[in-house]
Amino acid sequence: MTLNLLTFKEINILPELFLSISIIYLLIHSIFLTLNKQYPLIKSSLVYLSILVLYMTCFLLINDNLNILELTNFNYSIANDYLSFSSKILIGITSMFCLFMVDQYLTEQKINHFEYILLILFSILGLFLLCSSNDLITAYLAIELQSLAFYILAAFKKNSTFSVESGLKYFILGAFSSSLFLFGSSLIYGISGTISFENFKDLYFYDYPANEIKSLKLEDYYSNQNETIILYALIQKLFTYNENFFIDNDFQFFYSMFGANLFMNIDSENILNISNDIFHGVENVLSNSLLYNCLDDRDLTKKDLAFLGFVYMFLNFSETELKEIVDNNTQTSFESLNLAQLESNWGISDFANRLFMLTPLDSYQDSTYFYSLFDTTLLQFALVFILVSLFFKLALAPFHVWSPDVYEGSPSSSTFFFAIMPKIGFFILLIRIFYYSFYNFLDNFRYFLVLIAVMSVIVGSFVGLEQRKLKSLLAYSSISHMGYSLLAFSTGTFEGLQMLYCYLTIYMLSGLCIWSIFFLTKLKTKYFKKQNKDLADLLLLRKSNSILALSFAVVLLSIAGFPPMIGFLVKFGVFLVSIESSLYFIALLSILCSVVSAFYYLRIVKIMYFEKSLAGKLYYPITSYKATTVVLTLLLFFGLFINPTLLYLFSYKLTLLMLY
Amino acid sequence: MILNLLFYFFSILLLFSSLMIVTVQNSIYSVLFLVLSFISASSLLFILEIEFIALIFIIIYVGAIAVLFLFVVMMLDIKTINLTKDSLKYFPFGSFVGIVFLIEMLLVIFNTFKVSPYNFNVFLFNSYTNWFEKLDSLTDLESIGQILYTNYVVQFLIAGFILLLSVIGAVVLTIQTSTKQEKTQSIFKQLSRNYKNVLLY
Repeated sequence: MTLNLLTFKEINILPELFLSISIIYLLIHSIFLTLNKQYPLIKSSLVYLSILVLYMTCFLLINDNLNILELTNFNYSIANDYLSFSSKILIGITSMFCLFMVDQYLTEQKINHFEYILLILFSILGLFLLCSSNDLITAYLAIELQSLAFYILAAFKKNSTFSVESGLKYFILGAFSSSLFLFGSSLIYGISGTISFENFKDLYFYDYPANEIKSLKLEDYYSNQNETIILYALIQKLFTYNENFFIDNDFQFFYSMFGANLFMNIDSENILNISNDIFHGVENVLSNSLLYNCLDDRDLTKKDLAFLGFVYMFLNFSETELKEIVDNNTQTSFESLNLAQLESNWGISDFANRLFMLTPLDSYQDSTYFYSLFDTTLLQFALVFILVSLFFKLALAPFHVWSPDVYEGSPSSSTFFFAIMPKIGFFILLIRIFYYSFYNFLDNFRYFLVLIAVMSVIVGSFVGLEQRKLKSLLAYSSISHMGYSLLAFSTGTFEGLQMLYCYLTIYMLSGLCIWSIFFLTKLKTKYFKKQNKDLADLLLLRKSNSILALSFAVVLLSIAGFPPMIGFLVKFGVFLVSIESSLYFIALLSILCSVVSAFYYLRIVKIMYFEKSLAGKLYYPITSYKATTVVLTLLLFFGLFINPTLLYLFSYKLTLLMLY
Repeated sequence: MILNLLFYFFSILLLFSSLMIVTVQNSIYSVLFLVLSFISASSLLFILEIEFIALIFIIIYVGAIAVLFLFVVMMLDIKTINLTKDSLKYFPFGSFVGIVFLIEMLLVIFNTFKVSPYNFNVFLFNSYTNWFEKLDSLTDLESIGQILYTNYVVQFLIAGFILLLSVIGAVVLTIQTSTKQEKTQSIFKQLSRNYKNVLLY
């Protein structure tokens, strides 16, 4: 039986499995090689081996035909949808180029341990698992695998105090944020009894988190709503009533709604003391001739429908109870209304359904509002913890303080990975949580999300003006970019999701290009071990290497959002999406901040081109392979601007398959 | 009956020892009280028939963390100073923050969970007979093992990978390959420098 189950077709995590097995193999291989007496340096060969491994993994990913009917595997813990597939391919290809660019730098910095490459592979494995994780445990473990590798990568240069310090800082803050994640997920598990996103979707997807209807105190909410919504709520409540389950608040609410002294004397215990008025009302509605036709033709007024709702409520009682009510309290011919016939004609649930269908509603939001069958405050409390921990990892504005220090202190090759790789993985997790399982909660968190997005855009663009070092400048620019993508995320529409994915893709591409140029401009001074670049080091790059200067300027302008590059289109798309979902002021604010942040990108261009200094810096020549990768990504910027259909179709397919 | 007595005994022991952790001045005693509190908590869990978590408690907390604490305390060689004055200074603010957080959490929790009206006995004694357990004698450990190795294989493998990664990281960060030391301030050297040996001819 087990052998049948374990066919390769069924293992949908085959790429990850391959990657992990080859990591172990590379570990054993390199340990046996370095045990020799000669201590050979196998770092460079290991870089190329790991590029090969990543290539094979991407190959497996592409050949993995997505089975739409069987999206989840391993007890719903691994998702294999298009979202994970495309993001994994993106991460794989980008990390291949990253490793390729980093190799030379590692030799110069004398980071000769082969473990460095293995750690990078570990982190990529963690990101792969993060992209395809479909429950909280797998997500947590993937985050841990990825970030643990990153802590070690940050502290890798042991003879530099900065590196050790940044590693420790990263470790402590990362541990803090993952403890927040654990706390939030344990609360969620305590509330719902499950950890799978699939189950969360079944539980909460249609459940609107109602802050205001807390503990069934309805009057406060309904007093400022229009009649339709109130009626709707009433019918919804009728759905949820069990037998003999009445709550005083509801009666008081009905009383306040109809004004007359209908429900003065009602307790939950003695339901029989209902005053006559209600029955008169019911009688009026029901004695209306051709009631069925009225319901079918939609002639009834809202108030009539409400009374019909009451009738339905009374149908829930046993017949003896009804008779008792009728005998004691009313002189009307209540029995002649023939409730039994009404019930038998339609059936109880059908009756309620018809009422339900007849009520016109203004918006979808109102309709979801009353689905809330139980209180979800604690769930939101838990989700806040998860959100905050993911924002820590993404370095969004109030939680960003670690990132410039860590980026600056850790070796540049590690910073390369910190800046580009993990962002998309965490956004995929956010999408899975908020677009897949807790979609309706996004409405409640929108203000919070938008606030954080705007705050990080502001921080990224204004504090970035101060920076004189290229690495910390890039750190602040990445903070503002994460702000823009969170803005696209917080719209909660599928267009927003699409633009988020486009933005992240272009962010990764342009990050790849910028950091490659960062590694290529190696100064010809005797302090060439200085790993951090001032902006002034790029002085007169135009004179010494004009093509490199041109490409650097193009990338910077693309990131800043100037038209003939793809960076303009995706940024434009983000603002468009936020305007479409009525976030006008926010869009305006972030457009203005984007103008401010254009300043520091333009300053670098100015330093490269228009500085009046005569003595520039000299650089080492560039190998043609590396120049090719830079030029390829550069051409992609122009090509995608001319015809962005590839990118858009990719992301359209992704968002459409999110719906399935 | 005996179980209830044991329960009370261990819970009182737990409360006492956790109070002593905070109040005792000598840090080694406080660590030992920490160990005692862990052991009493895990025996409470044993009484509640949660064997797995009880064992994990002993293995992880007593076996690893408390011993680590003990090592740290012994290595740091902390002198017993009267710390009450210092803690009194921070007490109002710290307790304020703690209480605010506690009240927030309790408000949310009490709004969400309600005591069932059918169940008047709030404190459930462990006196009932689980007939299912009498029929099917699969222990806690066995069932957890079965779930872990069948339903959560991937997660188990990832956890193994994290362990491997942490081993690699520990080795990488501590191994001494080059003789070059990092450039740090050596305070002893600085202080012992004398103006006579500074100038060399």
